[in-house]
Order: sequence, then structure tokens, then C-alpha cells
Amino acid sequence: MERDKKSFSGGRKYKNNDITVYWKPDACVHASYCYRELIEVFDPGRRPWVDMNGADTERIIEVVNMCPTEALTWKWNDEEKNIDVSLNQTNHVRFRRPELLGSNENLVQENPVSVKIMVDGPIVIKGDFTFQYSGNKKEVKEGIISLCRCGASNHLPFCDGMHRKIGFEDK
Amino acid sequence: MNDMEANANKKPLTLVEVIDGGPLKITGNILLKDLKKDINDNPPEVFLCRCGRSGNKPYCDESHKK
Repeated sequence: MERDKKSFSGGRKYKNNDITVYWKPDACVHASYCYRELIEVFDPGRRPWVDMNGADTERIIEVVNMCPTEALTWKWNDEEKNIDVSLNQTNHVRFRRPELLGSNENLVQENPVSVKIMVDGPIVIKGDFTFQYSGNKKEVKEGIISLCRCGASNHLPFCDGMHRKIGFEDK
Repeated sequence: MNDMEANANKKPLTLVEVIDGGPLKITGNILLKDLKKDINDNPPEVFLCRCGRSGNKPYCDESHKK
């Protein structure tokens, strides 16, 4: 049986061009922020009760974030934007219903890899990443590598301290 | 059943790639900091100079080809 595209497990979803709002009726405690704040979008007396054309995206996000439960949550339609979401977006699905981000969530990197350009020195890379050089490929887990930036290392691509000997200066 | 729509847009892990005879290419989720210059950025893709000759350090400007 084909599933209704507007439904998802435990509720319904509503889209505009920017975001999807998820409605999970079981979780509602009738705090009523949604329709008191934005009846143009959230009107319990209308069917469907959510009209995503009733306000701009920014305002819809603001009101969904007021919901004290996971009855109303939201995410960006552009998945890239769902990766680094600020904590004050309280009702983003990442914080309330991470299962809605899909099964690839375990591939998403939570902590960015730190890439530091040292003063007149190497590139120091720290974190979880794949490192690939001249045919080698290895997964680095919570690791740290230091790569030559002056071109004079005898141990390329790694730094061996030659930058100091040759007086490498990053102008 | 989960909403599987997200599967179409998966985010790869960060890849740090040494290009032979060229720059360092990094793609993914990074925080780039230059301790000498005022750089604090999270670009989705960056090419960093490895030859020491770029006029736009820390970025590659293809000077290695000259």
C-alpha cells in the first residue's frame, strides 16, 4: 500500500519552500502557543489545520519553537542546513525528534574538524577525518596530523620543522 | 517507519586530500583558523598552499605551477 505522502509515522507534515513542519498529535498538551501566536498558520478549526502559506518561514519557525513539546517540530528542506543548527532553535527535529533526520544521521559529523594554520608553520589538523595522500587512504579518529606548508620538508606531506631552518614567513 | 527523505542528501565525512604536486584540498565540516591572519571560517571546500609560494596564503593561488 502506498503511503500518503503528507503523513509520516505518528502524524503529518507540512511544507513550504524552506522548511517542513511535523505535527505529532499524541504529544500535544494543548499549551496553545501555536494558534494564539499565529492563527494564520495554525488554525485548529480549519482542515488542514496548518497552512504553510499563512506566514513567512522565519515567523513559522519562531512559533514552532514555542511549542513546549515535540508536537510541533521543524527542519530545513535543505539537509545541509540541518547539520549545524543553533541550540536556540529548540524545536528543530535534531533536538526533539532526531529520527526524522533519517538513517544517515550517524554519518553526519557533529564536531567540525579543526584546521589550524600555525604562525609561519605547518597546517595542524585535528579530529575525525579521512586522510588521503599519494595512493594512501586512512581514517583518522580523534587524531592529529601536521602538514608542511613551506615546501621544504624532507618528509612530505608532513612537517618536519624545516620551516624554521629556511626562515619560512607567511606574509 | 522513519521518514527516509533525508537519505537523498547525505553529508560525507571530512576528507583531507594531498594533491600530488599541488595544494591540500579539504572538504566537509571544518573550522579553519589562521593564527597569524584574521581567518576563522567553516568553508565547505578549501585549497591550502603546500609549496610556500602562494601570494594569498594560506590559500593556494596556483603558484606551484610556475
